[in-house]
This record gives sequence, C-alpha cells and structure tokens, in this order.
Amino acid sequence: MKIPKQTLQCLAAGLAVTGLALPALASSHMDAPLIILDPAANTCDVYAFVSADTNGVQYLTTALTVYPFEEPGIGPNAYNFDPNVLYQINVSLGKDVAAGKPSLSYNFQFKTAYKNTGTILQSYLGVIQNVGDAAQNLTQTYTVTKVDNRPTSRIRETVLGTGIVPPNNQGIATPLYNQGNDGNNPAQDGVATADQLDTYTTESIAQLHSGYVAFCGQRDDGFYGDINAVFDLLQLRNPGKDVQAGFNVHAIVLNIPLSELGGTQQIVGVYATTSRRSVTVLNPAVQREGQPNFGGQWVQVGRQGNPLFCEALVGIADKDRYNETSPSVDAALFKKYALTPELCHLLNVIVFQANVAPETNRTDIAGIFIPDLIKVDLSTGPCRLAGGGPNDDADPDDAGFSRLGIFGGDVLTSSVQVGFGDGEVPGGWPNGRRFGDDVIDIAVTALSSDLRVSPPIINGPYGDNVDTNDMAYNKVFPYESTPQNGRNHMHAP
Amino acid sequence: MMPQDGDSHTDQEIRRYQEKVSKGENRQASLERLGWLFATKARISFDPGYYKQAAACGDVLESDSPGCPESLLLRGYVFENLHRFKDAEPLARTLVSKRGQSFDYGLLGDSLMEQGRLDEAVDAYQHMVDLRPDLQSYSRVSYIRWLKGETQGAIQMMEAAMDASSQNDPDSAAWVATRLALLQFQSGEKDEARQAVAAALLLRPNYPPALLLRGRMLLAEDKADEAVAALETAAKANPLPEYQWTLAEGLRAAGREPEAAAVEARLRVTGAANDPRTFALYLATRGEDTATAVRLAETEMQQRQDIFTQDALAWALTAAGHAGEALPHSKLALAEGTEDGRLFFHAAVIAHRAGQDDQSQKWVNRAAGCVQTLLPSERKQFLELTKIFPPATKPGSQSPLTNDLTASNLESVK
Repeated sequence: MKIPKQTLQCLAAGLAVTGLALPALASSHMDAPLIILDPAANTCDVYAFVSADTNGVQYLTTALTVYPFEEPGIGPNAYNFDPNVLYQINVSLGKDVAAGKPSLSYNFQFKTAYKNTGTILQSYLGVIQNVGDAAQNLTQTYTVTKVDNRPTSRIRETVLGTGIVPPNNQGIATPLYNQGNDGNNPAQDGVATADQLDTYTTESIAQLHSGYVAFCGQRDDGFYGDINAVFDLLQLRNPGKDVQAGFNVHAIVLNIPLSELGGTQQIVGVYATTSRRSVTVLNPAVQREGQPNFGGQWVQVGRQGNPLFCEALVGIADKDRYNETSPSVDAALFKKYALTPELCHLLNVIVFQANVAPETNRTDIAGIFIPDLIKVDLSTGPCRLAGGGPNDDADPDDAGFSRLGIFGGDVLTSSVQVGFGDGEVPGGWPNGRRFGDDVIDIAVTALSSDLRVSPPIINGPYGDNVDTNDMAYNKVFPYESTPQNGRNHMHAP
Repeated sequence: MMPQDGDSHTDQEIRRYQEKVSKGENRQASLERLGWLFATKARISFDPGYYKQAAACGDVLESDSPGCPESLLLRGYVFENLHRFKDAEPLARTLVSKRGQSFDYGLLGDSLMEQGRLDEAVDAYQHMVDLRPDLQSYSRVSYIRWLKGETQGAIQMMEAAMDASSQNDPDSAAWVATRLALLQFQSGEKDEARQAVAAALLLRPNYPPALLLRGRMLLAEDKADEAVAALETAAKANPLPEYQWTLAEGLRAAGREPEAAAVEARLRVTGAANDPRTFALYLATRGEDTATAVRLAETEMQQRQDIFTQDALAWALTAAGHAGEALPHSKLALAEGTEDGRLFFHAAVIAHRAGQDDQSQKWVNRAAGCVQTLLPSERKQFLELTKIFPPATKPGSQSPLTNDLTASNLESVK
C-alpha cells in the first residue's frame, strides 16, 4: 500500500550520492555477489592445460575470460578490456601449490586509444582489413609483465612484451571473422591448424620474450551448460539448453613455455584475479596543480580458479569474500564448503531422491578445490584437445578426447604421481582444464561419486544434458572459438 | 500486508517476497530482501512512500535480531533517503565497528557528507575505496572531489565509475552517466556532456535525472522548445521542486507563461513537503514568500549542514532582506571551494547586498565562467548584476569552468 506523498516530510528529493542502485549498497546476502556488477573485472572461467606447438615446444596454456554473457554487437556499450583493471594469471610452483600462493604472476594491463575522437563512430571508421588499421578507431594495446613473487627471486618484474587487441566482431565492419569473409554470415567455426585462423586472430597473436605467446581479445564463450536449470532448483531438462550459446567473452590467453616454469616434472597450480585501483580521495598536491589523481594500490575484486567453486559450492555469505581473498586462505575460510557440499545434499533430495552423493567428509572434493587452484600435471605431455566433435571432418576432436575427461575414459599418464594407479590421471579437468571439458557434468559426477576409496566408486555420469559448445574450438592457439558475429548469431531458443 | 501492484520485475519480486514473508519462509533473509526491494522501488519510481515500507521491514528485522548488520544497513540507507542523516550516522558507525565492509563506510560517509562534515566523510570514503574500488566508491570519491573543488579529478573518477558499471545494474550506470554529464556540463565540456546524457538515456530510457539535465543543457543553448519536451517528461515522472522549477523556467522561456504558472501552482502545493531546500531556493529566487523560504531553509539546517543547505539559507535570508545575516552562511557555502555556478551567483548577490562590493566582483568573475549552469531567471538576475560588476574575462585564466559570458548568451536571457 502506497503512502500518499503529501503526508511525507523531506522524503522525495534525491540525494547526491545515494541515488545509486541498491544491489551494490545492499548486504552480501543479496542474490548476486558484487563482482556481477563489475563485468569488466568479472572472471568467467580459467583454463590451464599442457599443449605443444608444431615444433614440439610444450607450454602451459592458460586463459582467463571476463564479461559474462557479452552480447555480440556493440549496442549502447562497447565491451573492452578496462584499462583501470589489472588482469592477472597466477601460477603456483612447488610448495606454493599447497599453500595457495602465487609463485609467478602474469600481469596484463591495457591502454585504449582512438584514431579519431571527433566522430560518433567509436570502434569502426570503416571495414577493417588488418588489426589496428586506419578503420579500427578504438584500439587497445596491452603489456604483459611477469612478476616473480618468490622470495629467492633476483629479478622481480620482467616485461615480456606488448600486444594489440583485435576488433570485436561487429559484422560488416569485421568481415574476416566470419564465414566466407562476409560480415553478414555467422562467425567462422574453429580450425585445426594455425594457417586456417582468421586474419584478425592471426595478426593479434603476440610472440613475447622468452618464448611466451599471448592473445587478448573477444572470443565466443566456450563454456557450455544449462546453468539456468542448475540454478532453478536443479530442475534439469532433456534436452538441456546451452544458456551461454551465442554470447561472447573477452579472453586473455597466455602460452607459458614449460622451461620457464622449471620443466615438466611437477604439478603446478593456476588461478586468475582481477584488481581495481584504490585512489587517494583528496590529494593536496593535486589540488595545487589542478591535475587529476588516479593512482593507488591495486585491490583484488575478482578471483577464479576451478570452475563452479564459488558459484556452486561457496555459500552466499562468503562469495564476495572469496573474490577478495587469496587462495592461501581457502583452507581456513572455504574448506568447509568443499568438505560438506550443499550441492550433494540438494542432488540427493531433488535429483536422485536417494542417498547417492556422499554429503560429508568429502576430502576428495576438498582435494580438488582447496586451495582453489587448477592443478595441472606437467609431466603428462600435451593433453587431447577438443575441436568440433569427433565427426567434424575439418576440425575433429583429438582421438580419445572426452568432454567428461576421466569419466569418459580420457586419461593421461603422469610420471610424478600415482594418480588412480600407475600414474593414471584425468585427461581434463580436474587435472587442468581444457576448452571443451564439460565441467558441469564432471562436477556433478564427481560429487555423486566417491573418489576417496580405491578403486573409486563412480556413479553416473550425470549432467545437465548439454554436451557440446555451440561453436567448434580451435585446436591451435588461442584455442577459444572465433567471436560470435554481432550481426548474425543465435542464442539457445 | 497488501500485495504489491504492478507488472515490473521489481513489483513481481516484491509480491514474491511478500508471500515468503507472510508464510514465514526463510524469514530473516526474505524480510531483508523485501526491504531492499521496496527501497529499489522507491528509487526507480521516485515514490518515497516505498521507503516507509522498506523501513518497516528494517524495523521487523531489528525486532527479530537487535543490532544485526542486515537491519542496520537497511535502516541506515532508508534514514538517509528520508533525510534523517543524524539518525543514519550512529547506525553506520555501529556497522563500521561491527563489520567494516565497504558499504558500511559508504553509508557513514554519506551521512557525514550531508551533515557538512566533509573531512570526516573523506576519511570514511577513503576506507571505502581502499576496501573495494568499484562504481559505488569511485562515484563517491568523484562527488566529494567536486565538493572540494577538484572538478577534473571528479570527472576522472566518474569516468572510472562508468567503466566499472554493468548492464546488470542499468540504474546505477544511468545515474553515474548522468552525474558525469553534469560535471562535464559544469566544466563547459558540452559535447562530452551531451554524449554522457545520451548514454544514460540509452541505459534507462526516459530516466528523469538525465532528461532534467538534458533540459538544462538545452535551456543553456537557448533551445527552450526542445528543453520543454525533455523537462515535461522528466517532471511528469518525478514531480519534485527541482524538476517543476526547471520546467516552469523552460515554459516561460518558450513563451508559454500560462503553462509555466500552472506548473508553479503545483510546485507551491507540494514543494515544501517534497524538497524544502529546493523550494526555499525557488521562493527566494522568485522573491516570493521569503519568510517561508527562510523557515524551510532553517528547518533543513537542523537536518543537514552541508554547503548547499548553507547556501539555501543564505539565499533565503538575502531575499528576505537580511543579507548581513546571510554572509556567514554564504562563506560556509563557499568554504570548500566547490565550483558551482549557482553558489557563485548567490555569493555575488549576497556580497553586493551586504555592501561588500570587492567580494561581489570576485564572485561575479567566478560565476561568469559557468553561467551556463544557471536557469534563465537566474541568468537574468546575474546579467543585471554584471551591469554593476562587469566580469573580468581573462581567457585561459579561469577555473576549469570555461564557458564564456559572451554577449550572445547574455542577450539570450534578456
């Protein structure tokens, strides 16, 4: 029931600063964590797996994606990396893996420039033929810096090099992303060899110092799953709906030569963070000189390691805290969520209607998620890669690749751990994470199984009935699929 | 509890949580969520009655769990929007000492700022942005920088807030874009301001604050007919004194005097209740019922002592013939160095009427740099004053408020 305005005193006038929307001023008990309100710094997914180039050089391929549900095409808002955000891919080595500490951090910092600011054509002045040409108005560049956080390091920071961000796939302005090099057509599907990549992607792959390779730019969101059904009281449907279909992300992909990490005989950990700068609210020097002030300490606002940990295991009350903390505190703060996953209880009650998933003392699940690093066994050699499925003649999955990883028989052999016996380790997540790993199905299957005993009791596989991405992956760097065409793309019906 | 009417997403959510509360389903979380939904509804509908309902949810939360952070934050936010800043402050201080999250410092800083305690507010906002740099903290830093005279730094921070905005929260994004446009308008960056307003209106079509600003910008360009179109839509959605006053000015500039008078008639009925400070400014500017203007400003001063309330009281006192009494309030209004055309214009008039012609000349010079931000009737009064104190225009020597007091734009207000 409304109260007549005339009966209120001093109520109606807006306030200078509290005209802001409420979700961000509300407590952390709201539906959405704060990071959802900051998409440029909102990490979607992290990937980490062993790859090799055509010369046989092995890499730890890492990737961070941001901007969830990025609608292709610009509309009122351009999606770009934020120059005010520090994007970091962190690698833990040796004892730092168990401690959840970053041994090495790879910092990506962006700059934005315009060729012409006297126009409303923010991104495209014409049809772009080459990355950074005269038609690409808004152009972002980036610098990659390696930070060695180890106390024994003699050189703390090393600039590895710079790169350029290709244009977003708008359509007519960016024809070379699309089938037949026609901006009216859907985006090109994934390819099996580097010479088949589209021009923009090829031109944006940066060869950095010491053998590092980087790519930063718009890509199709390679995550697939019916997350609407999962978060709709686990009311799964068949067929499921790939909710991410037709959406893009912005991806940072970095190939790290294994030689830079100390060789192959080890297990490393990978996670990513995003940070924004604090500022000095008032700076007397600034006031004197009339110059603006924008420089302070970086403050972490986003974090991502394994898929689904924060989203599906950590309680709402702690989600924001997760994003603001280091994996080094995971054992103290978040282990409880892995040891007693609420999701196991919900699966038992809602989906199985029986006690299938062990609900307590899940040391197996804690072993995956705590600390929340993607652990990658570097001794296995390159993993199998996803392309466009086993029947895609032009870009087939590698033989033996399974979206379900170990639950689909896709295993690798380690020389540094016993694994499930004789060095057998998963071919995909949770041993690394590849593009194409069906992380929802793997997670649900793992939660429903008991990996604490030998041999493990495997129940399932279970899942959300979405088994493939809407676009084929590239089997070559940068692996993530071509960005969806803003002019011609399709979301799941 | 009457079920919420309406079909918007917020209305539907309110109904859903009303049902949860009535069933006792997850009571505390449901009450908290319902309270914030009512506050959301109040903000986006500009219907302050919903704040009362949000407050009721907060009261029940407090009754269930005395001193719980959820209740403190919700009630504090509602108090601020009811302009009960002194009531909000202790809740914010309790939150800060109990929990110390970014929002808690934001709430504290807001209550201190509105009470005119800027130095304390700066400290609170510093904690806020150190804990979490984001749209919320950047926009507050921007605002307080502007209050402190750091206009370019304020613009930079509001741009950073804009970069940190999300389409998941278009209301905040539109609000930030509008504030950015206002700062640019005040700085004479016309093209940038127009673009920012357009961005706000893309994010939230017919967003009243953006339409109000667009109307003011069009009035500054002597495009009264176009201004009225924007202002009518804005004032219809948000019939507050600031909107009605600006609309009346636009209608009058467009030669639509009877319609202007009708809008002002409505303003006189509701202005004192809806926004006494702005209504006091309106009355004082018009030279009408100045005793009421003084009374309203004095009453407002009991709630907040920020620079704009100091200015409102000074302006009302001057209109009532008490320029000498107005001077100390005017000095307080200017003490932080805020670059605001209306503050400078008022200061010039007040100093002149108090016999301080050197001060009047000084503030005329400052106001001349941002005359575009004044309403037509204010510009007309200012023009009269410039006949006595011709502004000293030294190209390049002015503050960032670069708009020239040219012959042409002065002519437009004659």
